[in-house]
Amino acid sequence: MIIELVIIGCATSSVPAPPSPPPLPPPSAPSMPDTAVIPEPDERPGPRAVASLQMTEQGRELLERNKVDDAIRVLERAVSLNPGNGQNYYYLAEAWLLKRNIKQAEEFNDLAGTYLEGDQTWMVKVEEQRKRIQKSSLAPQ
Amino acid sequence: MGQKAKRKKRQAKKSGWKLFRIVITGGLVFAAGLVLYCWSLSSQIEKRFSGRRWSIPSKVFSDITVLYPGQTINRELFLSKLYRLGYRKVSHKPKQKGEFCASGSGMALFLHDFEVPSQKQEGFPVQINFSQNFITVIERLNTGEPVPVLELEPEEIMSFFSPEREKRQLVSIKHVPRHLIDAIIAVEDNRFYLHHGFDPEGILRALYTNLRHLALRQGGSTITQQLAKNYFLTPERTLSRKLKELLISIDIEIMYTKNEILEIYLNEIYLGQKGSVSINGVGEASNFYFSKPVSELSLAESALIAGLIRAPNYYSPYGDKKRCQERRNLVLRTMYKQGWISDQELQTASAKPVTVSGFMVYANKAPYFIDYLADQLKAFYPPETLSSLGLSLYTTLDTQVQAAAEKALANGLSRLERSYLRLRRSEPEKRLQGSLIVMQPNTGYILAMVGGRNYNQSQFNRITQSRRQPGSAFKPFVFLGALDSFTPASFLSNAPKSYVVDGKIWEPQNYEPDLEERVTIRKALAKSLNLATVDLAMQVGLDRIVSTAKTFQFSTPVKPYPSLALGACETIPLELARAYCVFAAEGVLPHPLSLKEVVDEKGQVLERRHMTIKRVTSPAKAFIMSSMLRSVVTEGTARSLLDRGVTFPMAGKTGTTNDYKDAWFVGYTPDILALVWVGFDNGDSIHLTGAQAALPIWAELMNAIPEYISGQWFKAPPGVVKRIVCSESGQIAVPDVCPETREEFFLAENAPKDYCSVHPPMNILERIMKEMQDVIN
Repeated sequence: MIIELVIIGCATSSVPAPPSPPPLPPPSAPSMPDTAVIPEPDERPGPRAVASLQMTEQGRELLERNKVDDAIRVLERAVSLNPGNGQNYYYLAEAWLLKRNIKQAEEFNDLAGTYLEGDQTWMVKVEEQRKRIQKSSLAPQ
Repeated sequence: MGQKAKRKKRQAKKSGWKLFRIVITGGLVFAAGLVLYCWSLSSQIEKRFSGRRWSIPSKVFSDITVLYPGQTINRELFLSKLYRLGYRKVSHKPKQKGEFCASGSGMALFLHDFEVPSQKQEGFPVQINFSQNFITVIERLNTGEPVPVLELEPEEIMSFFSPEREKRQLVSIKHVPRHLIDAIIAVEDNRFYLHHGFDPEGILRALYTNLRHLALRQGGSTITQQLAKNYFLTPERTLSRKLKELLISIDIEIMYTKNEILEIYLNEIYLGQKGSVSINGVGEASNFYFSKPVSELSLAESALIAGLIRAPNYYSPYGDKKRCQERRNLVLRTMYKQGWISDQELQTASAKPVTVSGFMVYANKAPYFIDYLADQLKAFYPPETLSSLGLSLYTTLDTQVQAAAEKALANGLSRLERSYLRLRRSEPEKRLQGSLIVMQPNTGYILAMVGGRNYNQSQFNRITQSRRQPGSAFKPFVFLGALDSFTPASFLSNAPKSYVVDGKIWEPQNYEPDLEERVTIRKALAKSLNLATVDLAMQVGLDRIVSTAKTFQFSTPVKPYPSLALGACETIPLELARAYCVFAAEGVLPHPLSLKEVVDEKGQVLERRHMTIKRVTSPAKAFIMSSMLRSVVTEGTARSLLDRGVTFPMAGKTGTTNDYKDAWFVGYTPDILALVWVGFDNGDSIHLTGAQAALPIWAELMNAIPEYISGQWFKAPPGVVKRIVCSESGQIAVPDVCPETREEFFLAENAPKDYCSVHPPMNILERIMKEMQDVIN
């Protein structure tokens, strides 16, 4: 199309002044979406993730039955299988909160927030848990 | 009668009385002495039996093995593990716990029961199907119900033995099956419930039987006498020892009930040998010969064990099976004759072949790991405690990974010696060395540890005890420290430069000549360019790098010299591996964990240790580091991994020190991290880089443990953005103008905001000229 314009332009008697460069979009606008994920061939949960979820569920049930140490052990195994599952860290934070280890509860809550970013339902829970941890840290030991 | 005769009669009567008095007095003194002696024996017996009766060695266990559908598995390692767990191969569908039957595409397995502090699982039969090296299906054999996650019991790695080296599993008489007790009583002491410690009738009967058959068919000692002999006396055959045995037996019978005596006996008797370790008690014998708890022994198996008592190694089923079977059947016939079993039971049990589970002699499994563990325990559990209290120590060790690590290191070092003559040494203690550690980066679990080439030659643990220079393997910590002010697209000077250090000139060099005088940070790390790294360190500030190193809790001193940027400091390999975990674990530093629980012999948990973490950098920075370390593998010094079958997404860093004294490779994925070191203990040069010496060992290890490779990569966390930048300027690329562009990750707060100033936007005439040129070209 540019070449056609050139040919048309050459046919005219006068050469118009070169137009100014087209305006560029503001550089602050991202050229790529901010949610940067390396495009890996398969994003479906793999077998490790599925197995990890089974253990997450086991861990959750153990917490409900107040078997805190057993829950932590199972959730650690779930983390080993799928470190990217934020729910494991959420439940680990719950477990450490029950054990009154605020420091570890905070660390795991922080990790849960990192991995569950983007999941509205879970982020509400993570935020609520953070508040409970803060409240516990202020409560007398 | 004359007076003389009367006198003689009176004298004789007097002498008779005197003699009678002497005899009675002597008898009373003897009896009193005997009673006193028996009383002193009884206090010895009480002291011995009331306290801790046996030294039970503490056992160390590996972690549970998890299996799930879709898992990639090394079938050879898995099969070895099953054998080590005491599973035995059968040709039919498994009917009993501990049996398995393998076919081409699958395996039917009857799981053992197992109990660990956090769970208890009763064994059940499962079917596991494979497709090449993938598990496709796991389901209950009888019902077809899918099993989403299957757990195999922990493997016993070793025991802390006392000098006696006895292995024993204590059992209560309540859990010993009746037919085992009957079998033992039938063949060893069939009047056990009738006598009071010794049995004269039994002695005479044994003598008669043995003379009749001209063979040692029966012993004359009762069970109580055997116990007295084993527990209190030395084995020499003297009259005094025999008399003492008799008295002790009588004392035992007075002090304890028949069941108490029997229980001690069942736990005491010697029943075989496993290498240098003796098998004592029916609990351990049941496990050693049949890989099952004593309560599950069949009649035939019970008779076999009872038959061993007379001569365990002579009648061992691991020796002459025919002899063992004959002895077993003799026991069964004896039981039948004494009315303990019916004719039907005799026929059925006698017809069974002798099948045992097999065993592996105690080899030094994961010895460096065990030493590391023992070192951590010694404050609370000194060696005397570990060798006597029968504790169970549950660890994080994965025996399959450990086996793969040991093999990879051994193969790698041998390969290097074969390929490079200068690496060979004749004295074993001077040979080329290596070490390897494998961790799960998020939990800190230590899955495998190999502290040296040969533990028997050198127990020095090169993972936990050595201090070596990390060389280029330290560079990621320099680059991490720079991420607040620099980006992966920032440029560094790769030109030769001199620095003055303590009044001396220092001129760092690159390992290989690189003509580019200006390189990006990503490239500088990928290609491990020394000049650019030092340039970065000087711009960032050495104090900043020291401060970054401190947050990673390196215990060795880190001094602010320019050479620090090139890893001219000492580090302990375990701490270096742990530090790399931060990049793999979203910026969190885990505490290295080897021990999970300590449990006493009653099953009470004495101690638990869980994963503990501490954030040392942001998830965003950790991601950027992993992204850059991935370039080391895709474009940089570790790209030879691709030729070695490592095609899954991973990050890593090679490390080579001055004069090539140390070769390192640290590589990781979201699921696993491994560090390899190669070098000489005496600091001789190996003349090889990390990529040449350590990387191949890492590759061999990873290829052997596919179950740990998910193929996943890290997801960019909040705070990370991606931009297309101009390769020449590092600024945002002008579309259709910048000739060479690439995608790059940035921290959101220091992502480039300006368009490329090197390639400004073209006006319409310039665009026309460009298009014409493109058409001509």
